[in-house]
Amino acid sequence: MNDIFIDVDYSQVYKHGQKIGGDVFLLSRNPDRNQIVAILSDGLGSGVKANVLASLTAHMAHNLSFSPMDLTHSAKIIMDTLPVCKERKISYSTFSIADIRYDNTAEKIIVNFLEYDNPPALFFQGPKNIPWTGETIDLQRKGAFKKELLHRQTFNLEIGDRLLMLSDGVTQSGLGLSMPLGWRIGGVNKFIERTLENNTEISSKSLTKAIVNKALNLDGFTSRDDITCSCIYVRKPRRTLIVTGPPFSKESDVILGEKIKAFNGKKIVSGGTTALIVSRLFDKKLKVDLTCWSSEVPPASNMEGITLVTEGMLTLSKVATHLEAKTPVYDLPNDPVKKFIEIIENSDQVHFIVGTKINEAHQDPNIPVEIGIRRTIIGRLRKALEDNYLKETSQEYL
Amino acid sequence: MKKRDKLLVKICVGTSCFVQGGADLLLYNDFLNPELLDRFEFEGCSCLEACKAVNDADVESKPPFVMINGKLHGNMNSDKLNKLLSDEI
Repeated sequence: MNDIFIDVDYSQVYKHGQKIGGDVFLLSRNPDRNQIVAILSDGLGSGVKANVLASLTAHMAHNLSFSPMDLTHSAKIIMDTLPVCKERKISYSTFSIADIRYDNTAEKIIVNFLEYDNPPALFFQGPKNIPWTGETIDLQRKGAFKKELLHRQTFNLEIGDRLLMLSDGVTQSGLGLSMPLGWRIGGVNKFIERTLENNTEISSKSLTKAIVNKALNLDGFTSRDDITCSCIYVRKPRRTLIVTGPPFSKESDVILGEKIKAFNGKKIVSGGTTALIVSRLFDKKLKVDLTCWSSEVPPASNMEGITLVTEGMLTLSKVATHLEAKTPVYDLPNDPVKKFIEIIENSDQVHFIVGTKINEAHQDPNIPVEIGIRRTIIGRLRKALEDNYLKETSQEYL
Repeated sequence: MKKRDKLLVKICVGTSCFVQGGADLLLYNDFLNPELLDRFEFEGCSCLEACKAVNDADVESKPPFVMINGKLHGNMNSDKLNKLLSDEI
């Protein structure tokens, strides 16, 4: 697994009263080619028409980024293709494209960044804003109704760096209300710097959410344009280890212990017998926490050195069901399943160590069908984590 | 008068016990005689490892299991627990 994780996320609020947005954010990860492309596009106007323009722009930019074509040329093609607005007789949409490429070890991350008419993207190293130095290209396209200036820059991203792309709904929030000229890029910049100083490791999701909420607040909670903000954040991956099931042979118990000890990150032990083995190996007391359970999920336990100790198959199958349904954490009752999901939602890479010993007690026909085969449940968990939550997962049998 | 030490009651919350009645036993606060609650200390246990040796002929060797003062009891339910704990004191 990689030692670097690129956390890309965005938040968005549509213009008040609109059911569809004129800002479109597109993200695609292409791990086979070590490439991530993130695009933010803002279409002319708002509502359906703007959405068509912005989606068209974003998808074109997206497909062209994966082709070997030069980004400047791609920009020209996009602008030539956009349909003309019936009222304003112009074809127009803005876009920012961040084309991120990294090598196999992810030691060097190169961003090819191109921007047209969006508020300038913000680049942060830690909590410090770094001004742009890139070139400006005058497109001089035939049939242009205004001067078309592209901003282009290629630079390296390192651990702790952030690149934020905004739509004009953010910089113009509060315009004429709480602020005569709106929030403006300087105000956004200050807000982000302050947020980052308070919380240096804030995730892309939380940061963009904070910015969008602040902009909405400035607009008096009635957004007057689509407000969109996206963030690309490079950081060390947060890892979680999930140990479930006793090893096939007793001799492997020691190996299991060493693997748990050597793991750097959060640790979940799922399974009563497994918990007993780990407790014996580490010589740590296992204490069941009778305050945290529900009629469907047995209580969790506490053990020093392990983040969460839960029961096995019931908890895991419940976790898998909720992950597949994408149930929001705040909708869950306060039981071990909630704690479990909270931990894995907050990590980027999840590693499973699956013990292959057969549990004699589960062969009883009185036991409900939810208790399936461990391997099947782990398969469901991994699929849900990868498809619904875009986590990296891996597993080994013991 | 010297306060008497409480006897330990361990309720198994392993999968097999939990689904076969152990979940109800965790509501001991609701169904046990209030006098008994003061005399015992209740604790969960991730697995008493008794479920691995279930003997089909013997009803008493079936889950859910509870350990009272070091002694294992199978096929537990609320009435039986009430009775066993009363016998214990």
